[in-house]
Amino acid sequence: MSHSLHRFGKPEDLKNDFCIYSRAAKGINRDDCGDKLRRTLEIYLKNDVVNFGSSHAGRNYLSGLKPDEYAKTLDNSYGIIATFADRNAVKGVLAQLKEVALGISVVVSGLIDEVKQIAYEVGLRPHTALLSLGIYGKRSLLPADDVLAVTTMCGHSLVSAALAREVIDKVKKGKLTPEQGARTLARPCPCGIFNTKRCAELLEKQRSTAQ
Amino acid sequence: MKIDPDKCTSCLSCIPYCPMNCIAEGDDGTAIDEDECVDCGVCRNVEVCPEEAIYMPAEAFEYPRAIRMQFSDPSVQHPNLKAWGRGTEEAKTNDVTGKFGKGDYGMLFEFGRPGTGARFREIEKITTAICAMGIDILEDNPISGLIADKTTGTIRPEFRDEKILSAILEIRIDDSQLAAVVDKVIPLLDDVDTVVSVGLVSRFDDNDELPVIGALRSLGITPRPNAKINVGLGRPIVE
Repeated sequence: MSHSLHRFGKPEDLKNDFCIYSRAAKGINRDDCGDKLRRTLEIYLKNDVVNFGSSHAGRNYLSGLKPDEYAKTLDNSYGIIATFADRNAVKGVLAQLKEVALGISVVVSGLIDEVKQIAYEVGLRPHTALLSLGIYGKRSLLPADDVLAVTTMCGHSLVSAALAREVIDKVKKGKLTPEQGARTLARPCPCGIFNTKRCAELLEKQRSTAQ
Repeated sequence: MKIDPDKCTSCLSCIPYCPMNCIAEGDDGTAIDEDECVDCGVCRNVEVCPEEAIYMPAEAFEYPRAIRMQFSDPSVQHPNLKAWGRGTEEAKTNDVTGKFGKGDYGMLFEFGRPGTGARFREIEKITTAICAMGIDILEDNPISGLIADKTTGTIRPEFRDEKILSAILEIRIDDSQLAAVVDKVIPLLDDVDTVVSVGLVSRFDDNDELPVIGALRSLGITPRPNAKINVGLGRPIVE
């Protein structure tokens, strides 16, 4: 349930970081929801989707998951997730999902005020929120904030701090472009909620600061 | 996970990908620390090994070790729930299920996230504290199936030393219990040997506000500015 919840970063870095979930509920609207999920995927693809993926396929869109092949598997699924990097794309998705009225639940992760405002603009009202109350416990185990901002973009913690440090170092030294670095870091995240556009921006900032 | 020493050429390509940082080059070649490994499969799944030397050994599927991959590899289903993932789906579909009404809260304590992993003996410190407060641990959650005694919250002993990437402990409370949970449970998190990411599910009110944010602030907790928001597209909607 918490998948994209605990993305770490400053509000200005999180401004263009959205994930949209469409999810059918067990016992209510889950039966035969494959066609609804395929329709949702079509809408995602028409609206500047950055990434999506499948833990079952073991890969994300940017790592070679073919939309047509993924669409065929959706009869065995009950949800679909995708990542977006600007509010207009999110607004487009929500407007079109409202229009087609599939009736399955939709959740958007992002800055609270921004998500609420986008919802209002397409005539929707927020229903339920899952808030992040922060990280507790043995915080000395955590990596530095710049690394945490990268690794927390995979909700299952499959992007390691060591890989983030290595990529940051290579980008600073000019061995990788920020975009190449972001693609490398997205690879372990099969669900596709790793936002490569935001990551490239973070890496570019690191490179600029180092110069 | 294991590395086949006959295939491995010690190119070291896999080392940075391990979320638990438990692959290292030793005197006998590159190897995985089996006790620290959570069987998430990343080192194999990213396909960086040119020799395809990394594999999931048969013992990873044996009881109780098999619990590791169930809580660490998102492609592996929890057999007790016939479901994937680490928690339930209440917030995602609350617009049609109505499981959380106004004034109800769901609290999520995710052990090992971000990126540190956790052993169930650490999680047990909090399951027992919560049960001692008379609060039930949510069913339909992967942790609930590992609890030996639902009145005390003790974890079945065979699982206590197993390490996993993360696991979410979920409870349901109402307005009257929020202060007690924050005052008693949050400080206990300082005593666990891992990190814990905490989340809270709440309904918006009729003015599209979240009154719980003010309540949390008065208890010393400021929620992060980003959240997951159900935008009410499910039908039939529960008002």
